[in-house]
Amino acid sequence: MKILVCVKQIVDLEARLRVNDDGTWIDCSDLALRMNEYDEYAVEQAVRFKEQCGADQVDVTVLSIGAATVTETLKKALAMGCDRAVHINDDAAWRKDPAQIAAIIAAFAADKGFDLILAGMQSQDRGSAQVGALVAQRLDYGCVTTVIDCDLQPDKITVRRELEGGLKAVVEVKLPALLTCQLGLNTPRYPTLPNIMKAKRKELLSFDVEEFACPDPLVRTVALTPPPRKGSALIIEGGNDEVAAQLAKILVARRVA
Amino acid sequence: MKCVLVMHSRQGQLPESSYELFTCAEQIGAEQVLVFIGPRAALPPFAGRVYLLDSEVWGEFNPGAHCQAIAEIVRSEQPQLVVLEHSSFGWDLAPRLAASLDAAQISEVVAISADGYEVPCCNAKLRRVLAPATPLCVITVQSGAFDAASPLVGAVAQISEVAPPPQGGKEKFVAYEEAEAASVDLGKAEVVVSAGRGMGKAENIELVARLAAALGGELGASRPVVDAGWVEHDRQVGTTGQCVSPAMYVACGISGAVQHLAGMKKSAFIVAINKDKDAPIGEVADVLAVADAVQLLPQVLEQLG
Amino acid sequence: MNLELTQEQKLIQTTAREFAAAELEPVAALLDKGEQREVFFANLRKLAELGFMGINVSADYGGCEAGVVAFSCAITEIARACASTAVTLSVNNMVCEVIQAVGSEEQKRQYIPRICSGEYLAGAFALTEPAAGSDPAGMSTMAVRDGDDWVLNGSKVFISSAEYAGVFVVWAVTDPQAKKGRGISCFLVEADTPGLVVGRAEEKMGQHASSTNEVLFQDCRVPATALMGQLNDGFRIAVGELAGGRIGIGSLALGLGQAALDSATAYAQERNQFGCNIGSFQAIQWKIAECATELEAARLLLMSAADKKERGQSYARAASMAKLFASEAANRACNEAVQIFGGYGYTKEFAVERYLRDVRITSIYEGTSEIQKLIIYRDIVNSSS
Repeated sequence: MKILVCVKQIVDLEARLRVNDDGTWIDCSDLALRMNEYDEYAVEQAVRFKEQCGADQVDVTVLSIGAATVTETLKKALAMGCDRAVHINDDAAWRKDPAQIAAIIAAFAADKGFDLILAGMQSQDRGSAQVGALVAQRLDYGCVTTVIDCDLQPDKITVRRELEGGLKAVVEVKLPALLTCQLGLNTPRYPTLPNIMKAKRKELLSFDVEEFACPDPLVRTVALTPPPRKGSALIIEGGNDEVAAQLAKILVARRVA
Repeated sequence: MKCVLVMHSRQGQLPESSYELFTCAEQIGAEQVLVFIGPRAALPPFAGRVYLLDSEVWGEFNPGAHCQAIAEIVRSEQPQLVVLEHSSFGWDLAPRLAASLDAAQISEVVAISADGYEVPCCNAKLRRVLAPATPLCVITVQSGAFDAASPLVGAVAQISEVAPPPQGGKEKFVAYEEAEAASVDLGKAEVVVSAGRGMGKAENIELVARLAAALGGELGASRPVVDAGWVEHDRQVGTTGQCVSPAMYVACGISGAVQHLAGMKKSAFIVAINKDKDAPIGEVADVLAVADAVQLLPQVLEQLG
Repeated sequence: MNLELTQEQKLIQTTAREFAAAELEPVAALLDKGEQREVFFANLRKLAELGFMGINVSADYGGCEAGVVAFSCAITEIARACASTAVTLSVNNMVCEVIQAVGSEEQKRQYIPRICSGEYLAGAFALTEPAAGSDPAGMSTMAVRDGDDWVLNGSKVFISSAEYAGVFVVWAVTDPQAKKGRGISCFLVEADTPGLVVGRAEEKMGQHASSTNEVLFQDCRVPATALMGQLNDGFRIAVGELAGGRIGIGSLALGLGQAALDSATAYAQERNQFGCNIGSFQAIQWKIAECATELEAARLLLMSAADKKERGQSYARAASMAKLFASEAANRACNEAVQIFGGYGYTKEFAVERYLRDVRITSIYEGTSEIQKLIIYRDIVNSSS
């Protein structure tokens, strides 16, 4: 069984973010980089399938598109247990829209015969939640999004999708298929130090993005701005003592019982 | 301008948030055509053309077939815009539709301006303004971003029922699974005091629980806090948890992800304690106390006695 | 010249940071109260499973072969969250390294995997005595040959991890007639050996989760195979092989200093006095700038010492300089952090209070600052003559 996991490297979103020079995305220089959290669930799930079915039964390839720095994220995936990594080198990946990214992934995967493709449900930075479904559409794979539980059988996979208000849907999909992973699917492992060292010797294939056909963008970024301030809230600022006293008064006025 | 709104039922019911799509369409002043996947009985009142994919035969989850049928409708209607909810429904169907129609897709739209569609990014710290490069665009609209329109009284729809699909798609719906019965019904509470990631660690949730008790309310939590196991799942407020509208909602250390805001912004009075004055929670709050909730709460509790 | 960490080093650093933030930081304050020892032990086991107990140890014995730079980075990240865990980690790694450096093949196979895997929660060094601290050659614990065995008698103090160590590296005098420092040998003594008694725990100022005990040897009989390294070569092992521990403690100090600086920097931007945040006052800005600069210098010294050791170059002077500077800089940073927090910094409401107590020992244990200067001076003089 061949599994492909698609991961994205993102910046640490806790950091102070600045708009870059051309005004369409954030300036990523000097920011800590990490694997998109949703993609960690995807990597973990692939490795669990490998452990569940036997290491020689499942072959896991992890893929990422981006600048040279993404090899760091790929190494983490290798250290977590993926068998090989594919780096599609693209310094301007941040300029691409979901349809373009999906086209590149699909172009890579088209002739590889993956039985299962796992992706994060969305990226934490852009949150489009499109790439997974678009890849499936291009490859004509079955696709289930926002998966929080999955059970792999020989020719199909039974999953739970998270819907709203705590409701879940049980869905079956025949292989080959693509699943997008939602928070709560599993608890991603920490890579162990010996595995981090061993990952150094695993295969890391590098391709230039130009090798894959990529359509023109479908979406244009007009601007990147801070969210508007409505500013209607009463702001209480100052020393904690002062703030606590004022706040307590408001709470008391409105509390029940 | 013409738009096709795509709505659906869940377990036979129309989600209330569907009415927000009407508001969105009205705001752009577009002619509206409705596609509804669900039972005829759950159709929202609507004045205009309705394409009904009766869930009895089409199923509520059957994305391959739904996508094909809706793409067909869109091709014949030739709108500039297809609108879905940014929910588990839209996440799944919108990209399939966009791909089938070679259309741009713009996800999680929270506002529409002359420049384009505004979508939050990077934990809602920033907003992107996006414009489609194709004549047709599929958008998903963030729940809570547009106020729900009131149902039109006495509206007469021209309903055409879409003939059933020839066969099932690749994905097969098996069953719904209900959420485990919530032992706490936050919807009934008059005061909800919620803990967010800003509480730092599990031990600090106690402070929020004590404030809830002191105010005669229930403890709630944001999704990260529930995912971290600090608070039980049945206390989660937001689109994937419970939607609440108490007399007072107190958000402790919650920055205000859109999914959380959608679950509490209808509360009558909102108090937020957050050290970041610019956090999105400030947009919906009536009172914003700028402080680290972990440090402030003990003092507030002391004041409350 | 390249001051960038390798991708593997970065990954190890990130793993340590994420583990520390998720598992250690939330319990650090509780552990400081001396509560929840079980949680402390559970975290040590988890760290062992991840490979943090034998970072610079051969894979043949269950180690990771990740090198000294990775070791230093890992200790720093762990110490940012919990100094007690970090010191245990540092000592465990050094016990493994010392056994690997001077132990017999059998000793290596016997003990290193047990520490690396977490089967032993810890290893311990039993060197210091009540009357032999900075001057270990003045020790009085005796090991006397009796047939095929050695019989140990004496008492050790300030022994880190003694309460939960599986094996002790014990120094004892084997030739009382020899010149000072020439008649000391090193033994590996298992914790359950009759006659090895873990005595009273010290009530310390900080690093409360990590136990520090008196260890008594009362006719403690060990087989001849317990001797580690050459007979009467123990003092050289103590002064030579333990130099790596200074990189560990320096890295620990750096982590504490960094944690204090991070807290103080954030607080300075939140705390309002005189109508503005205190970070807008130059007095506070200078403190933060100076601490940040000193900690960065400490980090570079540590990286340089770690890199030298990793390359197999002589590193004793570099390790002493790094330990001296990092522990002193971290002490200043924690002290200034409390100052920036003002009255609140003196309360247990804020972690900076704990950092300040935890950091104080870093310029004392693993060789005081004064001893480091002695080592540095001697090394300068010896290498120039």
